[in-house]
Amino acid sequence: MPAIARGRPFLEPAYCKGCLRCVEVCAKGCISPGKSICAETGLIAVELHLDTCSGCGLCIEACPEPFGLRPESEVTRHAQDYQLEDPAKLFGQKPSEQAPPRDRPPVKIPLPECEPLVLKGNYAAAIGAVLAGCRHVYGYPITPSTEGAELMAKIMPKLNGAFVQAVSEVAAVNMMYGAGAAGVPVMTFTSSPGFSLMLEGVSYMIGAEVPGVFINVMRGGPGLGNIAPEQTDIKLACRGLGHGNTHAIVLAPSTPQEMLDLTMEAFALSFRYRNPVVILGDGYLGQMTGSVRLPPYLLNPGLPAWAVWGDKAHRRNLICSIHLSEADLEKHNEHLNAKYAEIGSNEQRAELYHCEDARVLAIACNTPARMTKGAVEEARSMGIAAGLFRPVTLWPFPIDALRDALTHVEQIVVVEASPGQLEDELRLALSHAGIAPPPIASVRRLGGNLPQQGDILACIRETQEVHA
Amino acid sequence: MSAFYDHFARHSHGQGLADHSTHYCPGCGHGLVHRDLADAIDELGVQDRTVLISPVGCSVFAYYYFDVGNTQAAHGRAPAVALAHKLANPEAVVISYQGDGDLASIGLAETISIAQMGVPITVIFINNGIYGMTGGQLAPTSLMGQKTATSPEGRNASMGKPLRMAELIAQLDGPVFVERVALYNAKQRIKARKAIAKGIRLQMEGRGYAFIEVLAECPTHLKVNPEAAEEWIRTQMEPVFPLGVKKDAIVEPWFHRPPPSFDPDIILALAGADRAEAGSASAPARHASGNRDRSFKLAGAGGDGAQTAALILTRAAIAEGYDSTHIPSYGPESRGGTSFADVHIAEGEVLNPSAARPDVLIAFNAPSLARFAPTVAEGGVILYDSTTVKDPKGLPAGRRVIPVPFTEIAAGLNRPVVKNVVALGALQAATDALPAERILGTLRHLFKDKPSVLPVNEAAFAAGRRAVELAAG
Ligand code: SF4
Ligand code: SF4
Ligand code: SF4
Repeated sequence: MPAIARGRPFLEPAYCKGCLRCVEVCAKGCISPGKSICAETGLIAVELHLDTCSGCGLCIEACPEPFGLRPESEVTRHAQDYQLEDPAKLFGQKPSEQAPPRDRPPVKIPLPECEPLVLKGNYAAAIGAVLAGCRHVYGYPITPSTEGAELMAKIMPKLNGAFVQAVSEVAAVNMMYGAGAAGVPVMTFTSSPGFSLMLEGVSYMIGAEVPGVFINVMRGGPGLGNIAPEQTDIKLACRGLGHGNTHAIVLAPSTPQEMLDLTMEAFALSFRYRNPVVILGDGYLGQMTGSVRLPPYLLNPGLPAWAVWGDKAHRRNLICSIHLSEADLEKHNEHLNAKYAEIGSNEQRAELYHCEDARVLAIACNTPARMTKGAVEEARSMGIAAGLFRPVTLWPFPIDALRDALTHVEQIVVVEASPGQLEDELRLALSHAGIAPPPIASVRRLGGNLPQQGDILACIRETQEVHA
Repeated sequence: MSAFYDHFARHSHGQGLADHSTHYCPGCGHGLVHRDLADAIDELGVQDRTVLISPVGCSVFAYYYFDVGNTQAAHGRAPAVALAHKLANPEAVVISYQGDGDLASIGLAETISIAQMGVPITVIFINNGIYGMTGGQLAPTSLMGQKTATSPEGRNASMGKPLRMAELIAQLDGPVFVERVALYNAKQRIKARKAIAKGIRLQMEGRGYAFIEVLAECPTHLKVNPEAAEEWIRTQMEPVFPLGVKKDAIVEPWFHRPPPSFDPDIILALAGADRAEAGSASAPARHASGNRDRSFKLAGAGGDGAQTAALILTRAAIAEGYDSTHIPSYGPESRGGTSFADVHIAEGEVLNPSAARPDVLIAFNAPSLARFAPTVAEGGVILYDSTTVKDPKGLPAGRRVIPVPFTEIAAGLNRPVVKNVVALGALQAATDALPAERILGTLRHLFKDKPSVLPVNEAAFAAGRRAVELAAG
């Protein structure tokens, strides 16, 4: 590389910061500290006297400013003319202005019909991610989510994908940020304490509009808690995704089949909205083996136009969560708010079971929803008009479907393995929607115990006696 | 030519002077390294392929200047972001540009672990001995005695000595090239340019990870003019941070990553999926009006095979058209102690997947029997290993109790591990939950790659059934 020999220097005084690093290197004494303050910068630019200049270029090498000392030859106009020119137009256009890249859409590849698989929830989610085209998995082992990562560690190399066990969850989420910034589908398996550690990175992903899928197989807390199932990260996922104005779609599967289906769905949503998506499973669901049917296709993902991919077409792109000026950051947040509102109106999902004529409506998600369904059936067999409303999206809460389901409801029973975090989401959604709810009773368990069918049925019956 | 933008449109929206000048203080070393980097990118012809990771610190806005793909990272995490960019597109030239707080303090774990991985990325480490952006606080690289905003009396022993990153990184196995350079005179600047270009070239050639530490001037927080800052680096910093090449391994290009595969056949094989054939192996789904749901508890010690038996049961049930679930016990007990499995088989849909009141219990040892027999539902079935449990006490009334010598039968087949299959045979005969042929079919499928062990498993299954039939008279 020609380190020196750049030739004689040229300087637009407004771009000189007066640091004098050039002065000391000129053996010919061609550069001297200036005498007057530059009106535009308030700094004192150096003065050039190039009569004795040898063109050694050392001064150019010493200048820290990209548009400070420059070789005369690089300047499009002759030096004498520069005062007549707008300084901004001094340096010619480089051929860097590529046409904006276009989105390359994903390609659907048909799958033959297969026998149902018998899979653990964690494995089902991993297979779902593979079918969604995910070939980049970053994580840190944590029970009870590790099987997912272990399967990915086995599968990814065979598909020329990347599985990296990071030094920590903090590193893992930032690897997700990098892969998402490059525009590829990326995911992690984690569990509650690990998810806590990732939240700073989630905030950056939301701020920079980077997609990525987080599978949080919730376990007991707080602190180290235990590794049995709880639903106590609902608050975190719905209200606490790191600092700042953050939200992400939160999906709550209740069967191994849904672990697969919703994981595939999560990737699509994540790219549609350029936002992370969180799948909240519970420890039971992660470990539970059940029947899983494969979809009729898999995806070869495309490449979004905004990706920082590392080629000519995408060179113009920037992934970044900084907006230095108050006006810019406010505008960015308004953009995010519009996105959240769009998600709120488009992406609510719920399963309704015997809700049409329900007088007592049980509300539950994840595995507890299964016990609740059992209790609802049992209640029906006793002549109680019970129904189950199962939110599949916890954020946005499926309030529109709930509003309809509440028509005849005299009593709500919220069932959860949490101290009321699901109920809080419910109450907040009701309140925002201006719906005055019927009385709300609750069946709550903690510590890794799940609400059992008998307890739920007892609660349903008790509330019916009150209403009778 | 260089890889700088023609106009710094992102710097204060490109208004006025910001369009062509940096946000760095006069004389700041960052500007010089930026120029070296921009020239190297241009001269190596990789501008289109370059992805620059901007850190947090004074160079947080590096993306204002470089006309390349830009990703801005959280404090300390640039190498993690860089690694993922490189693995996403191995053709990209990925540069992680970081300061001393970013690389040597908050991001130390990422710095070291990713250097050790050795994936070809280029890390440029600006060591100016102080925190710039936050206003002159102690850096891990501040010198002993150096006064900073958070070491007002000077760095002392209790703060630890300055961290020599180049030496630390050089003694890892992962990196191929590590050099520390400086900017304080023309000679050092030439070396810096060369080192940066070499670090990028090694990446382009797929040879490995390169780390270039640059001793850079921060006149502002040293509170001296740029010339004195150069002098401080030469006389004060360099003795603590000796310049030079710390590692330069001769490595042949090795980094090749073929494009990811989306081949459905490979993926189905990895998922363990079998194509549905005409005259499908599995029965159509069963739907009963009452959603009849039976639950099973299989409990034993770690090596008894309760989980495998449970899984075979679940698979057979699903193939038979039922909905079925299996939940293993987990917790410390699954690491060696007792291991138990809950299985449900339902016509329609399994609701509660746990088996708190099982219809059927298989107990492989006395503790399991003692623990779970009392939970078995009225009218249920209790099967236990009568080889290991000689004299069971306190079994609940109103349950059908069937002792079967699982261990003895398996030992008689010269294969002790098949006692769980003996138990399955017993369960089949005792409950008729599934047709024997269906469970055998699942066993055959399970051992399709190990046909030699199939006969003994079939024999074990038959022997378990026979034992129950004999007991029933
Ligand atoms: S090119 Fe060399 S001689 Fe000419 S001004 Fe610069 S340093 Fe001095
Ligand atoms: S080195 Fe550049 S910025 Fe500094 S005084 Fe010289 S011309 Fe001005
Ligand atoms: S504070 Fe120091 S490191 Fe930061 S821009 Fe100013 S001189 Fe450079």
